[in-house]
Amino acid sequence: MDYTLESSSASGRLKRRVSPIVLRENKYGYLFLMPWLIGFFGLFLGPALASLYFSFTRYNVLSPATWIGPGNYVRMFTQDNLFYTSLVRTLYFTGLSVPLGVLGSMALAILLNMEVRGKVLYRTLFFMPSLVPLVSAVVLWLWLLNPDWGIVNNALRSMGVSPPSWFGDRRWALPSLAMVGLWGSVGGTRMIIFLAGLQGIPAEMYDAAHIDGAGAWNRIRHITLPLLSPTIFFNTVLAIIGSLQAFQGAFVATEGGPAYATWVFGMHIYKHAFDYWNMGYGSALAWFFAIVIIALTIMQQRLSTKWVYYYGE
Amino acid sequence: MTTNTTHLLSDREIARIRASARRRRNIGRFFGYLFLTVFGLAFAFPLYWTMSSSLQTWQELRSFYPQLLPSVPQWTNYVQVFTLVPFARWMLNTVLIIGISIPGSLITGTMAAYAFSRFRFWGRNVWFIIMLGTMMIPAWVTLIPQYLLFHRLKLINTYVPLTIGSWLGGGAFTIFLLRQFILGIPRDLDEAAHIDGAGPMRILVQVIVPLMKPALTTLGILTFLGIWNDFFGPFIYLNRRHMFTAAVGLRFFQTMPMEANEPKDHLLMAAASITTIPVLIVFIFAQRYFVQGVVMSGLKL
Repeated sequence: MDYTLESSSASGRLKRRVSPIVLRENKYGYLFLMPWLIGFFGLFLGPALASLYFSFTRYNVLSPATWIGPGNYVRMFTQDNLFYTSLVRTLYFTGLSVPLGVLGSMALAILLNMEVRGKVLYRTLFFMPSLVPLVSAVVLWLWLLNPDWGIVNNALRSMGVSPPSWFGDRRWALPSLAMVGLWGSVGGTRMIIFLAGLQGIPAEMYDAAHIDGAGAWNRIRHITLPLLSPTIFFNTVLAIIGSLQAFQGAFVATEGGPAYATWVFGMHIYKHAFDYWNMGYGSALAWFFAIVIIALTIMQQRLSTKWVYYYGE
Repeated sequence: MTTNTTHLLSDREIARIRASARRRRNIGRFFGYLFLTVFGLAFAFPLYWTMSSSLQTWQELRSFYPQLLPSVPQWTNYVQVFTLVPFARWMLNTVLIIGISIPGSLITGTMAAYAFSRFRFWGRNVWFIIMLGTMMIPAWVTLIPQYLLFHRLKLINTYVPLTIGSWLGGGAFTIFLLRQFILGIPRDLDEAAHIDGAGPMRILVQVIVPLMKPALTTLGILTFLGIWNDFFGPFIYLNRRHMFTAAVGLRFFQTMPMEANEPKDHLLMAAASITTIPVLIVFIFAQRYFVQGVVMSGLKL
């Protein structure tokens, strides 16, 4: 609106002089943006470029970094046994967490969106676990899933099932971790975002479908899902980025064990950078990981045109 | 075609169809409540179990028949946690970090959001896209050099690395949310103030900010929760015990060997409760604003 006014007055002079309005917009724009800009250069761009440089060096902090070219990247693919296994484990963890997490949040939101009494109470019950600090959540689940004394195994034994030892078992440790994550995320912000999305669907649509004789399932299938697809997409992208990077739970629960069972990719980076002080190799792993995440996100963006429906566009 | 009635169905048939529809709806409703209740209990039970365990003796916890309620509430468990480790100090440290960070991210985040939503400066759209792009880059990429930088500046074991980011814009998500909110405030208000002679700074402070209360409240709560729950940042930047935050302290307590070699499950549960209860209290007071905030902040995608 006023933009066209400004630009026409600026070009109207035909001289290469900047109009006072443009000058003012720039002055105040950059003035108010300044704190973020300083942060962007000092805490983001600078460090990102530095780690890109480190990724081509050998650097253990004590002695200066020495340039070794693509050596770290070669090492990653040829000499690091844990590289592939941690990558596969991370994908497995994501495959367990994301579909269950997104579908679970959506299901809870649809249930809450019905005309039910005590909605606030249910919403609070679902939301509470997401507030529990991660370390506390892990500590409490380690107790619940304690192989000998935990209530879960107590209950399973009394039902005649011989229970797994959860975090103590190589096969069960990662699913246990996914379970803790799901408990803490299914009813959290993701569910609230779904609720917001559901409330954006016009009620007339349901009324019309009702009159046409559509049952509950058909209404969900043909109205809710298509109109909710942008929200589903948004939440899926966020959930994938989140669970690919998740490692704090694994770190607090078992530090990657037992027998590397929860040694996810974030754990691998952490160990190299902050335990073995291989800052060069750690940076290379971090950059490889960043490229994987960016590629996956772009891929999802491309795929989204096939199934995401923007109402009214 | 019959002439004496305009209805295709008799009254009786209509009543029957209505009744069956009602029955179906009631069955659906019943299952809805059933699911909600089952899930609700399943979600809340671990928390209940933590609180209950935190008030039992360890002998009780390890008895063959677990007790849903402590026979005698052992409040001394909590006293023990505070005397075994400086938990009160750790909680105060966390509150201090929160106290430094919330004003920072609200002030500098609002400034950036104001710039993005109200001024047409060169490269604005490019900067905006770059800002959103930073959300996609995993923290690992910047973490290692950041750590080295703070190490060189001798800022390890200070709260500077943990709070400086909030005074430099407070993160892309904060700025994005605040910008969406400011875009929803009519520009007429700015212009009226402008005509009255107010400068950009005064317009921000006296016109825009008072209208941003819901968004600022939401972000304040989110910042509180984010810092209270943060483990990794404090974990790598703080290694002196008296500097710890509550989350790092809990982890320290979890891995700390006990002198008497007694099990400390009950104490761990008490410590976990201590770190959880403050966030639950904040949420109970703030949940109305919080849910509104998410709905209002234009998560129309």
